[in-house]
Amino acid sequence: MKVITRKFGEIEIDKQKVLTMPDGLPGFERYTKFALLEDPNTKPFCWLQSVEEPNLALVVMDPFVFMPDYSIDLKSVKLSRKWENVNEKDLAIYVVINISDKGGEKQIRANLIGPIIINVKNSEMVQVVFSDTRYSHQYNILDPE
Amino acid sequence: MLVLTRRPGEKIKIGNNIVVSVLEIEGGYIKLGVEAPKDISILRMEVFEKIQKENIESASKDIRDIADAAALIKKKFSRSK
Repeated sequence: MKVITRKFGEIEIDKQKVLTMPDGLPGFERYTKFALLEDPNTKPFCWLQSVEEPNLALVVMDPFVFMPDYSIDLKSVKLSRKWENVNEKDLAIYVVINISDKGGEKQIRANLIGPIIINVKNSEMVQVVFSDTRYSHQYNILDPE
Repeated sequence: MLVLTRRPGEKIKIGNNIVVSVLEIEGGYIKLGVEAPKDISILRMEVFEKIQKENIESASKDIRDIADAAALIKKKFSRSK
């Protein structure tokens, strides 16, 4: 299917690769279909691009790149999504990234309390909120406190 | 918005399977108990709003200079990968 994107213009996305988010994306609740796009120049960042709204694209990345011991309790997610039979290795985890310039220095923050979990077996995706963790929603990747 | 007045120990029922109990009121805080099915997400509103805000901010960013930021990450974490 053809999808118009903010970053890449019009691109072709394999229908199988479209991720559905039954509850929508917090902040953009009415959008439920996304694709995860990569660009070699911007690795390890990926784009979570809405296939319904060209202007809606979030920057996300694999948190284990900068925090190998990042850990969240997937049990409750599996239960609430009815993914009980899914192997945890089939759940891909991404975190939302915010890049800004502070006094000429680049700041890269990750939201570690609201990871996005993708069930690669059925292409379902959910953003989970872990309110009782030690993690920050604005974790400074380059300069952790 | 529906407004109900309840005393400690009293409850309200929402739909078929959600019950909210007022457990205790002390020093300006109200302790609530929520019984709901496991697939119902229950969150402190301000936590959910943080998630919304981070998503909205990420989506509103100028995306041109992201390659620079990616290079910084690669530089910092390439050795440990």
